Amino acid sequence: MEIIEKIKTNKSIDNQTEIQKICLDKLQSSPLPNPRSEQWRLSNKSKLSNFLDYSINENNSKFDISYPKNYQSNIRLIIGDNCQIKLIEKNYSIQQLSEDELQKYIKEQITFFNQNENWSDLLNLSLSGKNNILGLKINGSEIPPIEIFSHASSNYLNAKTLIIFLEKNCNVELLQINLGEDNSSLSQSTFFCLEENSSLNHGVVSYGVNKSNLLNSLNVIQQKNSEYNLGSLHFKFNYARFEIRIKQSEGNAKTNIKGMQITKKNEQISTYTKIDFDGPNGFLDQINKSLADDKSHAIFEGSIIVPKIAQKTDASQLSRNLLLSNLAQIDTKPQLEIIADDVKCKHGATISQLNEEELFYMRTRGITLTEASKLQLSSYFQEIISFIPVSKDRWDLLDKLLNQN
Amino acid sequence: MQSKMKESDPILEVKNLSASTDNLPILKGVSLTVYPGEIHAIMGRNGCGKSTLSKIIAGHPSYNITNGDIKFLGENINSLEPEERSQSGIFLGFQYPIEIPGVSNLEFLRVSTNARRKFLNKEELDTFDFEELVKEKLEIVKMDQAFLSRSVNQGFSGGEKKRNEILQMALLEPKIAILDETDSGLDIDALRIVASGIKRISNAQTGIILITHYQRLLDEIKPNYVHVMSDGQIIKTGESDLALELEKKGYEWTDNFIKET
Repeated sequence: MEIIEKIKTNKSIDNQTEIQKICLDKLQSSPLPNPRSEQWRLSNKSKLSNFLDYSINENNSKFDISYPKNYQSNIRLIIGDNCQIKLIEKNYSIQQLSEDELQKYIKEQITFFNQNENWSDLLNLSLSGKNNILGLKINGSEIPPIEIFSHASSNYLNAKTLIIFLEKNCNVELLQINLGEDNSSLSQSTFFCLEENSSLNHGVVSYGVNKSNLLNSLNVIQQKNSEYNLGSLHFKFNYARFEIRIKQSEGNAKTNIKGMQITKKNEQISTYTKIDFDGPNGFLDQINKSLADDKSHAIFEGSIIVPKIAQKTDASQLSRNLLLSNLAQIDTKPQLEIIADDVKCKHGATISQLNEEELFYMRTRGITLTEASKLQLSSYFQEIISFIPVSKDRWDLLDKLLNQN
Repeated sequence: MQSKMKESDPILEVKNLSASTDNLPILKGVSLTVYPGEIHAIMGRNGCGKSTLSKIIAGHPSYNITNGDIKFLGENINSLEPEERSQSGIFLGFQYPIEIPGVSNLEFLRVSTNARRKFLNKEELDTFDFEELVKEKLEIVKMDQAFLSRSVNQGFSGGEKKRNEILQMALLEPKIAILDETDSGLDIDALRIVASGIKRISNAQTGIILITHYQRLLDEIKPNYVHVMSDGQIIKTGESDLALELEKKGYEWTDNFIKET
């Protein structure tokens, strides 16, 4: 109950929004996720407890972490910055959702929540004050690339929520950056609704510093003929959890996911994905990579659900893992749940180490063991990094990954 | 045969070398000396230890030297890392060159070349200068520039992989090159290109060890010495006509030498 008390102490009931009250009510019935449930059984309990240890902070301090200069052509938004967004140009418009639209959408989403599966969202919506919810509707064409930032301040637990409606026939490139400061916890929940014929190239890059924690939840609803491409990267968190839930609500949609998590020291980073095909002719191509070093722990659990209505689904889920230390741990479990009888679905998992013969070959060409390992890792990383849209080069992602301590 | 007086110091001296992997003895007292300008051929049945010898000289970490020494330019290199051996001028051309997906051939060649240049106190080359150099060397093995933009050896045919090995040899300018079955999997034209490349790169200051099963490579590159290996030992050494005799009589003929040994 500690977290409930903490939320209540932080904000009197009179100051809570209706959404906060609803979510808090739901949380009260199970303040923590069930540690025996499939979604949480491998999650490190003491690290989750540490996530909740920090004081709740609804105010937003300025970024201490330097980030690349903005390109003039990009739109850069910071959740919690209190700015009013209304961009109406000749070919497109980006506008904030009204209070009513936000309330209506979130309430509708909450009705579908499952206590264990959506515990991170319930926590997020219990914590997120009005200032920390950014809701946007986007339509039109030739929309400039968008960067959206969330960050947690040192010694605090911050919650940020992002809701985006992509209207019909709209194509967007969006890079979401989640930054954790030293000793901080960030709860980030994101909701996307992709209307017919829309497409979203979405990048999620999350990284912290010492003792940063992250609960990152992503919920996507795809209407027919929409395309959702996700490239994600999570690294340098004491504890991080990335939950992806995608529903192709009418089938006839495309989803491509390339994600990677990198763990070192005694970090634990996990990715949980659930892809629901609620109509025929759905397509999914998913690769999740984990790299675990030192005494760290990386987890991937993926499920693909293909009910009877989802005939002609074509889905592939592959988990590829690199174990760099004898003390590191990787758990991976790609799963298929298929009822429909006319589908093409495959899944698989591999766990390996750096290839000794490749390393020897490079070393016989004068390349040191350290450099040879970096070359091998960079080729492992590139597949994912190249899939992350919007100014990934400016973020020096490869350099950050290869040279992180 | 190798006891005749030489005018210069040897490049490579392998003395009574024994080595094992997983406690399994592979080499059982191999001795071999290569002087500048010499070409040696090592022949023998599959599994006799030829490739293992080449890997041990290059410093493969899976093998333990249990006895003997490897001296390169007078220095014992038993404990040197593979990269240190390469930088100082030992080149191993692989029987099965490794594919490294995602690593561009051009960048790989540049990093390797600069590692060697750094050892030689030569200025390291930036991308532009390196491209100039590599263009010259491509001509030696008649390779197209398109190979440079591909991942190292990925999707290369057998012949292309071997030519890429010789390209690396040309760029690294080693003091000694050990070419492990460079002729395997090559058609006649590719064999001639590779052989001509090796001849162009080698000179009076360098040594070459050719590991091969066939006379056809030795028709193109005439060795000064031919060694026959069996069960981890060199059982016979002769001049180039020994290879011709082996071609005629087969390895069964060498079994007699083992009995004599």
